[in-house]
Amino acid sequence: MNSLPLPNRWWLWAIAAVAGSWAWTAAFVPIGVAAGSACVTVIAIVLIAGYGLKRRQRPPTLASYVAVARPESASQWADEVNALLIETEALAPVPPVDQLLKSMEVENHRRRLEDLLRRWVDVAHRYSEAALVLRKEIHAVVQHTEQAANTISSSFQAVISKATLQAREAMELLEGTQGNVNEGAPQSLTDFIRVSDERLTKMADEVVRVADLSVQMVKELDGVQTRTQAIDGFLLDVEKLADQTSLLALNADIEAARVGEHGRGFSVVAQEVRRLSQRSHEFSDRIRQHLKAVKVGLHKTYGDMRNLSAADMEHALQIKDDVITLTHSLEDKNREVAETVGRINTISREIAQDVTNVVMSLQFHDITSQKLKGMLEPMDDLRRTLFHLMQETMATGKNLLPQKESAAAAAKAEEATEAQTVTSDAALRKLRAVGAPINGPSVELF
Amino acid sequence: MTTIMTVDDTASMRQMISFTLNSVGYEVIEAGDGAEALKLAKDRQVDLVIADLNMPNMDGLTLVKSLRALDTYKFTPILVLTTESQADKRDQGKSAGATGWIVKPFNPEQLVNVVRKVLG
Repeated sequence: MNSLPLPNRWWLWAIAAVAGSWAWTAAFVPIGVAAGSACVTVIAIVLIAGYGLKRRQRPPTLASYVAVARPESASQWADEVNALLIETEALAPVPPVDQLLKSMEVENHRRRLEDLLRRWVDVAHRYSEAALVLRKEIHAVVQHTEQAANTISSSFQAVISKATLQAREAMELLEGTQGNVNEGAPQSLTDFIRVSDERLTKMADEVVRVADLSVQMVKELDGVQTRTQAIDGFLLDVEKLADQTSLLALNADIEAARVGEHGRGFSVVAQEVRRLSQRSHEFSDRIRQHLKAVKVGLHKTYGDMRNLSAADMEHALQIKDDVITLTHSLEDKNREVAETVGRINTISREIAQDVTNVVMSLQFHDITSQKLKGMLEPMDDLRRTLFHLMQETMATGKNLLPQKESAAAAAKAEEATEAQTVTSDAALRKLRAVGAPINGPSVELF
Repeated sequence: MTTIMTVDDTASMRQMISFTLNSVGYEVIEAGDGAEALKLAKDRQVDLVIADLNMPNMDGLTLVKSLRALDTYKFTPILVLTTESQADKRDQGKSAGATGWIVKPFNPEQLVNVVRKVLG
């Protein structure tokens, strides 16, 4: 700024010069001349001040615009504008004001365009750098998700195969209790319950029947005892008969002794009859003794039988009750097992549905990867197009991006491998295809 | 035993297909791209090929055409399993000789039904 004359002060100098020249001459001329020249001087000062003030309003407007548009280049621009103004003034000491203003407007427009272009090139450059980073990131994301998906997928398969094995073994175990009878031997819990119920009931019935028989036998024994008592009565009769016979024989013997020698034979007979009577007495005694033993035995048997039949009956009924309780509890258990089997079946069906969901969800990794990869190509196309445009722009105005030499070199290297006519149409079409929804049926057989 | 070959460059996709088809009793062999698939197909006859479209080395369409050029795969069913759903892609697949077109993600039940159908 210092190296240039100040545009907003030159008219002050002019005023000072005019005023000075008047003041200097005023002392040497008559009053009337001095007053006249003072009038002329005042008019001249007014004119100069008016022009100077008018000029002063223009440069700050430009400077303020430039400062808003690009702060760091504002000073540079201001310098250039100053230089231009001075040049104009140097060439034409009395500048044509309208022409000067017009040329400045054109210059201003050109600089705005240049600024916009510079910003475009800058954006293109920054996009291409960002695109490279994005590309790397997308690759990393695809790789990471692929690793994760593989891990999830193999773990999922392991989980499912184990769950399937578990369910199958549980089902085999449980279904075994629900199966059919096989060659007489109970194969399932149901059969076991049925067979044991049958057999235990049969046994209990048998015990009850035995108890009934015991009662019957006790009654029979009662009859036998009555009979033995009757026999006892008969034996008393037999003994009475024997006693009478013995008494009769004694009388006969006495009568025979009275008769003397003739009654000797008769006396022998009477003695024999007495002996017979005695023997029948003895015989009756022996029978009584045996009968007594029989009675004692019978009595004992009778007692045993009674005890036995009562105990048997009670036991048999107890067993029957137990068998019924056991059967019921086994049946309950069996129902529970059947319910568990049902639940396992339901869970298996639910697992199958979950498996379907997981299998479908796991495929989304592949789909997203493909979509991400699909984005890379249009992104690269766009990047190349922008590089190309940047190159062209820089070829037209080399001063637009002087600080981005490396980027320009990279762009040149890339462009060497690419076709010259790169358009963004293809890139946009591909980008649209990436986001396209599913068209047509998901399964189609040709 | 029926052997099915799945061709996909994504390992998890191959795993999902193998898992789905193994569970219904098919033997599944895997290939990571078209070239590998073609080599495997020449080594042993498979009953069905399920191929992706976008793969490195050899893409799905080229694989379908190459398989159809072989005498042993003239009539083998080939299903394309892909994220592509556009009609022009389908037409390309159809004219290359594919038997059917399944858009990812596949539903396991649906896949099994289609496989059963094309295997007859």
